[in-house]
Amino acid sequence: MATAKRKKKAPLKKKKPGSTKKRAASSTAASNGAAPKRRTTAKAMAASQRDISVSEFFAKNRHLLGFDNPRKALLTTVKEAVDNSLDACEEAGILPEIWVHIQQTSNDRYKVGIQDNGPGILKKQIPLIFGKLLYGSKFHRLRQSRGQQGIGISAAGMYGVQTTGKPVKIISKVSVRKPSHYYEIQIDTKKNQPKILNGKGDGVDIPPGDKGTKYIEKHGIEWVDQPHGTRVTIELQAKFVRGRGSVGEYLEQTAIANPHVTLHFLDSDDYEYDYLRSTNALPKEPKEIKPHPYGIELGRLATILEDSERMSLSEFFRTKFSRVTPAVAKRICQTAGVSTRSNTGKVGRSEVDALYQAIQKTKISNPSTDCICPIGEDLILKGLHHVVPAEFYTAATRPPAVYRGNPFQIEVGLAYGGSAPTQNVTKDLLNELLEETDARTIRQFLIHTFNGLGSESADKIIKAAALGTRQAPGKLKPSGVEKLFSAMRNVNISDGQSMEVMRYANRVPLQFQQAACAVTQMVVGTNWRSYGLGQSRGSLPRGPVSLMVHVASVWVPFTSESKEAIANYPEIQKEIRLGLQAVGRKLGMYLRRRLRVKQQSDRREVFLRYLKEVSTAVSEINGAKQAELYEQLVKVAKRRTAEADVKLDDRGRPMEEKPAEMNLGDNVLIVDPSTHAAAINRASSSEDEPEE
Amino acid sequence: MAKKRPATTPRKPKVKLTPRDKKTMARLTGLADRVVTAANARRDPYVDIPSRTLSNIHYSPRKRILEMGNNKNRRQLFDLSQAKAYMRTVLVASGCKQLLDQGKTTSLRGLYYMLKHTIDGAKENTFDEQNECDTIIEDVEVLLNSIREELHLYAENRGAMVGNITLRDRGDVIDCSRMGSGGYAIPSIVEPEVIELSRKKCDAKFILHVEKGTVWQRFNEDKFWEKHNCILTHGAGQPPRGVRRMLHRLHNELKLPIYCVLDNDPWGYYIYSVLKQGSINLAFESQRMAVPDAKYLGLRSIDFERCDLSDSVKIALNDNDKKRAKQIAKYPWFEKKRKWQSEIQRMLKNDFKLEVESLISKDISYVTEVYVPERLEAQDWLD
Repeated sequence: MATAKRKKKAPLKKKKPGSTKKRAASSTAASNGAAPKRRTTAKAMAASQRDISVSEFFAKNRHLLGFDNPRKALLTTVKEAVDNSLDACEEAGILPEIWVHIQQTSNDRYKVGIQDNGPGILKKQIPLIFGKLLYGSKFHRLRQSRGQQGIGISAAGMYGVQTTGKPVKIISKVSVRKPSHYYEIQIDTKKNQPKILNGKGDGVDIPPGDKGTKYIEKHGIEWVDQPHGTRVTIELQAKFVRGRGSVGEYLEQTAIANPHVTLHFLDSDDYEYDYLRSTNALPKEPKEIKPHPYGIELGRLATILEDSERMSLSEFFRTKFSRVTPAVAKRICQTAGVSTRSNTGKVGRSEVDALYQAIQKTKISNPSTDCICPIGEDLILKGLHHVVPAEFYTAATRPPAVYRGNPFQIEVGLAYGGSAPTQNVTKDLLNELLEETDARTIRQFLIHTFNGLGSESADKIIKAAALGTRQAPGKLKPSGVEKLFSAMRNVNISDGQSMEVMRYANRVPLQFQQAACAVTQMVVGTNWRSYGLGQSRGSLPRGPVSLMVHVASVWVPFTSESKEAIANYPEIQKEIRLGLQAVGRKLGMYLRRRLRVKQQSDRREVFLRYLKEVSTAVSEINGAKQAELYEQLVKVAKRRTAEADVKLDDRGRPMEEKPAEMNLGDNVLIVDPSTHAAAINRASSSEDEPEE
Repeated sequence: MAKKRPATTPRKPKVKLTPRDKKTMARLTGLADRVVTAANARRDPYVDIPSRTLSNIHYSPRKRILEMGNNKNRRQLFDLSQAKAYMRTVLVASGCKQLLDQGKTTSLRGLYYMLKHTIDGAKENTFDEQNECDTIIEDVEVLLNSIREELHLYAENRGAMVGNITLRDRGDVIDCSRMGSGGYAIPSIVEPEVIELSRKKCDAKFILHVEKGTVWQRFNEDKFWEKHNCILTHGAGQPPRGVRRMLHRLHNELKLPIYCVLDNDPWGYYIYSVLKQGSINLAFESQRMAVPDAKYLGLRSIDFERCDLSDSVKIALNDNDKKRAKQIAKYPWFEKKRKWQSEIQRMLKNDFKLEVESLISKDISYVTEVYVPERLEAQDWLD
């Protein structure tokens, strides 16, 4: 970059003194008629002008790829590896199972291992994939996939090598009978080439069977035994955090949008989280499509023309683009004033421009949208239900639409959680949980055991229970347990909670730059008050709500290279809005009905509460028998409310008593929150998992 | 509170009820009996409370006071939004019954504490704030057609008086000309049973009512009442019932004219209006409290020029003041009075208000030595 700038400036400097009369006059006045002395010559400058390798550029500008700080670096590394694994598994037609292990090696260094059960990688490809930037299969095709450029995982490796000096370790196995390959790689940033460190620069082949197992054990190679798969281990400077923008959050959100994936996550504090798959159906394989003429820029059109083999323009349009029929091709050429039969090799620059203009003016039907594979409403419901503890779930998949010639599809899922998991625990279960846990403090116990309970809420509970923050859960006395139990019951943790928005692009969760994203802007811009949620102007709605928005497209328009926010295209905004409104309507229906049911039961309760007071007061005035009067009044109350119950139903049928039995149409899931499995993490459930 | 009550009640000897108390007691019992009857007949117990809103108030041009209409609000026990209010109504009634039984009076706040307790089996109090109790007391007053005094309730003493009059307060002789700088605090209950007035013991020729205590101090310190032979009262802003009832009795029983010195702002006009015609909320008591013959002496909106005041005493009218002034101008009892209309128009045109204290900028005793005597002399007032 620096040299490029200097190049540009040099001719400017030469021009400066005599460019305008005014300036010349002032400069001569300042320097007494002498021209400024030359500092260097073109020849001397040429000596320092040279090529810049891609890897050098990204090593200097690592923030562009999401390695701005140690916290984000850890997440980006996990994310790139997991995305690659998922893409590979799905392409091969394997139900993905992924292990993520994070281990602290020193104060600010972490070792991250990610393993999948994918098809494995051929030996000669391994160093290139993990040790060369911009090497990949996904860049040149137009097809829905998680990765796009082929930078991610090799950049993570490069970051690791740069910050810790430790090589990237890769082990990959194609089948049970064939040897697995083990590599230790460093990127040569100057050449953008992999440098293999082990096996004399050739890598090591580990034989299959028991022999190989012994070798793996002997050399301390990390590997969960699998018939096929790949594992990459990177040691890097990082910071492990919980909560917003953490690895845990990313994996949880991945599990929601990918219900066919099983994830095992072992964090640096040795907590194990397991997200088991809720469906065995792999997503439909996405189709690759040709570009649509509307989505192409002038420069790109010229390149395609140049690269193409010789053919007539008409044929060129028909074969290289989607949705161009001979008639459409003819119309384009006519508008541009170019013959349909002119050869692609002979089209000049000005004609390309005319063709480009003509394309914009010609009506071309939208690209086919069957290349998009959405998650589907059923699976969104399953995914949400599996991971987010709530009582009401709904999902909406919009029909596919098109922006700038690229097909895309919007899906929205919503989970509305009534009472928090802490409020549904019985006392026996709490005692059991306290016994099982290996958390050092009550605070840790609360945060790790009850999903979705933030540190703030945990503090609130501890404060209400009047327990010490550092108190060990195992040593809690029965009176302490009693206090904790009642505090958990009574503290309203949904107070002041606002909607949690999960954004996805091609099933990948987006975690940063929330405010810049089209999704967040549309959520804020939607009026949620009419759907029964509180919302102040210009902010997210309040309440125990989780919302997921998935944008699937062959080319997701991100605002920057680090793929963190979706750009604002009117077509995308419109679809998001419609999707939000669809789930909003269902939520509104549910909340209104629930409110009505609640009112019914409140009603009787309210009357009964006051009857005692009324009867006591009356008997004090006129000496009537209090008990008798009370009985009479209760009878009247029962009759009254019974009548009211029937009256309030709009269809003349008795009201459904349980919210779970409401009929709200398709794509809605209502569960009893107290029986939710995902609400509580139990130490015992993870014991049978293999550990390294 | 509720639990302690039975323990203390039996020890008290039965108090002999006055005829007035007996009447009140009969009304209270009637209320309770209706609840029992309704419950036995499996009907909804309810009470019909005369509505105390502007829509149920009308101005009687003949009597020149505000009167309450016949509209009633039904309050039902078995209505979700009214159940609590109904319970409170009965509760207040039972509280008053106890007061009558024991022959004692209590303050509004006292009754609030007497009745405040947590409802069994709920984390809810019968009352959370005193004003919740106060409105229910007013409801019971109109419901039973018994005024607060008859229910043995009183409010905090507010307002004071001095002047050439001697009265008896619960048998004690009070000489209001020897009250020092503090004056005689007008009690909340000034019914004939408590305060006895006598024509023979009153030398004063008129009553001067001022808006607040500070101004009243000025008049008292300058011995205005001695020089002009009058009674001097104040109501600490909007006068409480005790003060209004006292003015009403002094005016009607001793035939003393009343002149008011109030601020020149919509609030001052409204105080005058309440003294003269009665208030919307207490329209059922207008008969006993309103003094239709009260006169408005000042301050007038012409006083800024008439008294040659300096610009610094002006207080700009805010939007709320302007709105209020326009509302007051539309009141039926001001609407037909051209003098009042021009008074209010003038204030709006001035676009500022004046406090009585602003006259101090002329001279400390300007208001007592010049302003009021001149107005009285010239008989220059608004009616």
